[in-house]
Amino acid sequence: MHMRFDVVVVGAGPAGAAAAYAAASGGLKVLLVERGRGAGSKQVYGGKVYSHYLEEALGDLKGAPIERWVGKERLSIVDDAGRTATLEYEGGSTRAFTAHLTKLAAWLVDRAASAGAVFVDEVRVDSLRRDPSGRFSGVEAGGELVEADVIIDAEGVNRLLLERAGLVERASTRDLALGVKEVVRIGEKEVEERFGLDKGEGLSWILVGGVTGGLPGGAFVYTNKDTVSLGLVLYVDAAARAIEEPVHSMIEKLRTHPALHRYWADGDVVEYAAKLTPESGYRYMPRRLVADGLMVAGDAAGMLLNLGYTFRGVDYAVYSGYMAGRAAIAARDRGGPTEENLRELYEEPLRRSRPFRDLWRLRGVERAMEGGDRYFRRYPALMGAALRSMFELGESTPSIYEALRGAAEESGISIIGALVDALMMARSI
Amino acid sequence: MGLTIAVGIKWVPNQQAVRFDERTGTLIREGVTSIVNPHDLDAVELALRIRDRYGGKVVALSMSPPSAVKGLEHVIGMGVDEGVLISDRAFAGADTLATSYVISSALRRLGGFDLALFGQETIDSSTAHIPAQVAGWLGLPYLYYATEVELDGSGRKVIVKRMLEDRAEWYELDMPAVLGVAMKSQLPRPVKLSNKLRLREENPIRTWSNAELKLDQRCVGLRGSPTIVAKSTWTPEVPRRRQILEGTPEEAARKLVEALFREGVLR
Repeated sequence: MHMRFDVVVVGAGPAGAAAAYAAASGGLKVLLVERGRGAGSKQVYGGKVYSHYLEEALGDLKGAPIERWVGKERLSIVDDAGRTATLEYEGGSTRAFTAHLTKLAAWLVDRAASAGAVFVDEVRVDSLRRDPSGRFSGVEAGGELVEADVIIDAEGVNRLLLERAGLVERASTRDLALGVKEVVRIGEKEVEERFGLDKGEGLSWILVGGVTGGLPGGAFVYTNKDTVSLGLVLYVDAAARAIEEPVHSMIEKLRTHPALHRYWADGDVVEYAAKLTPESGYRYMPRRLVADGLMVAGDAAGMLLNLGYTFRGVDYAVYSGYMAGRAAIAARDRGGPTEENLRELYEEPLRRSRPFRDLWRLRGVERAMEGGDRYFRRYPALMGAALRSMFELGESTPSIYEALRGAAEESGISIIGALVDALMMARSI
Repeated sequence: MGLTIAVGIKWVPNQQAVRFDERTGTLIREGVTSIVNPHDLDAVELALRIRDRYGGKVVALSMSPPSAVKGLEHVIGMGVDEGVLISDRAFAGADTLATSYVISSALRRLGGFDLALFGQETIDSSTAHIPAQVAGWLGLPYLYYATEVELDGSGRKVIVKRMLEDRAEWYELDMPAVLGVAMKSQLPRPVKLSNKLRLREENPIRTWSNAELKLDQRCVGLRGSPTIVAKSTWTPEVPRRRQILEGTPEEAARKLVEALFREGVLR
């Protein structure tokens, strides 16, 4: 059987599905290949998607499996004793929704299939093939070859195909984070009552400090329709050096954390998942995003932004996939997907795009967050001690300055140093 | 011409992913994916090998809710030629008798077959009834624990090898025949891209409801199922004693053997 397509897309995640959708919408013959069973079956993320780039790529979100529109954002710093300071933002307009990624990917794949893309699951692509001139000319799966004018590689964070093709180095643990996640069912009414949400309203909550046992990373909580997603993200390099217990027991600790467990008490844990993610999208980005006959999109292209207080991955993935699909169409009308054409039609526009410029502009944040112990243990301790002296009043009543100074002495941190760090952090954000 | 080989597959919850709710004692099915009963994949693999050697086609049948289409797609990805989804609300709640009745009726409707292969048993009920009962309904020869199948020279008989605990046996059966294939006897082949593409292009899956099979409602589904679950009990939990036997490995092994004799485990 001779198999030949205009475009072969590897990986049916948000990037691959969007690429297949865009290319098929332009009349190209598209094959979308997924290794797992069903779309998005190899994917895990926290739980929140910004809608802007999805709407831009798809035109609308009709029928999208949206759980809740996020109307409340929380950011908490927790010290080792469980004392928690929280900043809450609400009353704005909603720009993000919570969703289960497998459902969202399945929806995107349905859109791609409706546009004419052929979707095949349960097939693992083993390698990218080049013809004698060095041009990428197809993919090999289980000993079978599919030829393609252009390949869109959306294989995800674990980019074995690009490694084998010699386009990227083996990932360094310094560039990776490990996400672990549980979904707990508590019921629709309970979700709204316990988190103080309006009907259909969602919460996005990021926590740092004691929730990771002081390890660099953080915890997240997102509300779905009748379940809550909670989880941890740990920077692999730092975690591997300092970790003292397995991650499944760390997430157990998060779920039973004194300040948190009441939110999902008596719930059923209905799902457990873990996945690697780029810690820093910018550092994870391959030097080149195109080659002759090849484009790279999504996580594999490092299209993920981690700001500590929020993450953008799914929408950036959709955006890059969409751009790659469009570029495949434009390249056809311009003499084919040569490296030069793809650079002009995909890589350069992507590098000029807002998401890409933001990844570059904000690349310092991840570095700063590697400050480690200071940010994830000692500052939370300082905050906990200061707030305790401010709010737990007995015989004496300290001023804010006195509370801070006492807390600084107690936690062994110089206030000047903390101010400098705060300034540096603020500047890089 | 070639053989027509039917193979039955069941769509079952993936047991490795199923967990118990300890408070209610029920299964948590939430988020649990279903899979093709793994032992049925041995039957699929054997069917494909027979077809690859002698020619013909393999037709997979599954009596199940519509979600089992994913299971039929999987075996078509392995190389099965056609799929039949037998699906109707009237078939729901069936025990093995009603199930085997529906499946044997569907096999009749295929319009002739040479071999009908089934997995040894399913991981979600482990009765191993279906192949035997199908053979009973259809009045065909039946052999279980089959591991290898060859045609004899006439082309109308099969030589079937089966493995028992202490010996191998060879049987000669007239076709059509029904076989239960020994679990773990084959290495199921992976899904191939070309097969999946053929699936997308030709869509070789048919759905038969009772509108096609026209079976008496009293003989199918819950109504056609005489089985009654009279009682179910929990396996008693035996607490671990956590004894540690000290000494060199030889001494510890000796103590262990002595203890097992004392307990009557060894005699």
